[in-house]
Amino acid sequence: MKAFMKKEWMEMTRTGRLLILGILFTIFGIMNPAIAKLTPWMMEMMRDSIAQSGLQLGEVTVNAMTSWTQFYKNAPMTLLVIVLMSSGVLTNEYQSGTLIQVVTKGLSRKKVMLSKMIVVYGSWTALYLLYFGITYGYTEYYWGEDKVEKLPEGVAFYWLFGVFVLALLLLFSTIAENGGQVLMGTGGVIAAAFFANYIPKIQKFLPLRLMDGLQLTMGSQEIKDFIPAMICCGVSIIACGMISIVLFDRRRL
Amino acid sequence: MNVLEISGLEKRFGEKQVLRGVDLVVPEKKVYGFVGRNGAGKTTTMKVILGLLAADAGEVTVCGEKAHYGNTKTNRFIGYLPDVPEYYGFMTPMEYLRFCGEISGLAAKEIGPRSEKLLRLVGLGGEKHRIKGFSRGMKQRLGIAQALLGRPRLLICDEPTSALDPLGRKEILDVLVAAKEETTILFSTHVLSDVEHICDEMALLNDGKIVMQGSIEEVKSKRRGSATEIQLEHPEDAKLLTEAFGGVCAEARARADAEAQGDLRTNAGAIELLQAERPDTLLLKDADRLPEVLRFLADHKIAFVRIEKQEATLEDIFLDVLRSEKA
Repeated sequence: MKAFMKKEWMEMTRTGRLLILGILFTIFGIMNPAIAKLTPWMMEMMRDSIAQSGLQLGEVTVNAMTSWTQFYKNAPMTLLVIVLMSSGVLTNEYQSGTLIQVVTKGLSRKKVMLSKMIVVYGSWTALYLLYFGITYGYTEYYWGEDKVEKLPEGVAFYWLFGVFVLALLLLFSTIAENGGQVLMGTGGVIAAAFFANYIPKIQKFLPLRLMDGLQLTMGSQEIKDFIPAMICCGVSIIACGMISIVLFDRRRL
Repeated sequence: MNVLEISGLEKRFGEKQVLRGVDLVVPEKKVYGFVGRNGAGKTTTMKVILGLLAADAGEVTVCGEKAHYGNTKTNRFIGYLPDVPEYYGFMTPMEYLRFCGEISGLAAKEIGPRSEKLLRLVGLGGEKHRIKGFSRGMKQRLGIAQALLGRPRLLICDEPTSALDPLGRKEILDVLVAAKEETTILFSTHVLSDVEHICDEMALLNDGKIVMQGSIEEVKSKRRGSATEIQLEHPEDAKLLTEAFGGVCAEARARADAEAQGDLRTNAGAIELLQAERPDTLLLKDADRLPEVLRFLADHKIAFVRIEKQEATLEDIFLDVLRSEKA
């Protein structure tokens, strides 16, 4: 299994996937404080044209909260990028037939699947930390004196939501033939969750709630409001993982 | 000891019944040719052996252990070369073999020397480039190296020579002959000359069934051993002979060929025309009648170019079997 992980690492670095992901997550990370920092200046630039349309613009103040609001606005983009880049994590190997040699060499399918999980969850974790770290560093530098409440908790909730989406992606990877089907399946479930979100009774159980870390930081919600969603999310991740292993074991390569 | 035993194997893809009860036994330390037309079921059989496809019925035993679909333990005995081997293109051959060695559980200190030895064997010794830019022949050769890496007791090669040029083919066959020292080889092909060159035994798969199997000599001796070719100097004399011995004349042969009826020998007389486009050559099926024919040639002063006992090639046997199956 170590050998297979080594191969995955080699693939990420040599095909340039890691580099692209690293660059994108760095850009996203820088954008959050940058947009916050530039907002007053942009408003100033547009003050005249806004005034002409009859609106009166007051003094614009930005603080750490502005930066973190941007963080949550851009977080779905980071998740989308990693989902797109990981959609072929198994299907590309089915299509090229490279896994046939691996499993006929005696590496158990369970280990293949576990390696893929570690790689996908691991890269999401590392890249998300990078995204968070950069935003955190600049925000501290510019608005260090601002106090932000319960930031790590909210950020961790979003990470967990990311793991949930990737667990779905891996599950669909065990049954799909190509990356498109994987994206359709994963997207389908997320879309279904958004529709389900209109039903007040189940709202608080949906993993989608974990995207609302900003509410926690702004103080409009408590940690206990997130607990049902967190439990549901954790159970779903474990269930997806177990089903994936079983399905992958029976899959035709 | 038999390395591989297959009994009553059946497989259906939707409407199409691909395997209809395949029985096959491969003894140890042999090169076993698995012959059949494209679509006869060779690859399907091999994939069932490797647990890559589920069989509908029948049993596969590798080195005394039962193989099954999915994660099958018997794969540790097997080295497999797929028809179109695919690798991780971002690795070099040495890195790929190291990777294969590690996942198959080979001892770490053994992997390096063994990989180098195998790469030399297949002629990829000093290759430092990544696999991405390899030609088909190079990929096939690397495929044999990776398949032999774990010292498998059974090497399964799916049409290793089909897509290669004559030189590439010869290289692969040489490598397989060298590999014979170490392992048993099951090797599928539709190139019969390859089978004649390197195989000890063979089985012919047609329409999902084994229609003939045995050693190459046995198979050859079963068919057409006694046929004799007679080439005449004047093609018009052929009619005299065919009339005298009740065979098929040129017109009938041409008509039969045109209607694609195949073999006429089964219901024709002793002599017939070999091919419609060669009106000077006749085939005498029954060796016992040769003196009679010679007397006839002498009596009628018919000049001939040669009279020759026909050496059965696998090609002839193959066609014969396919024709009789069809009939």
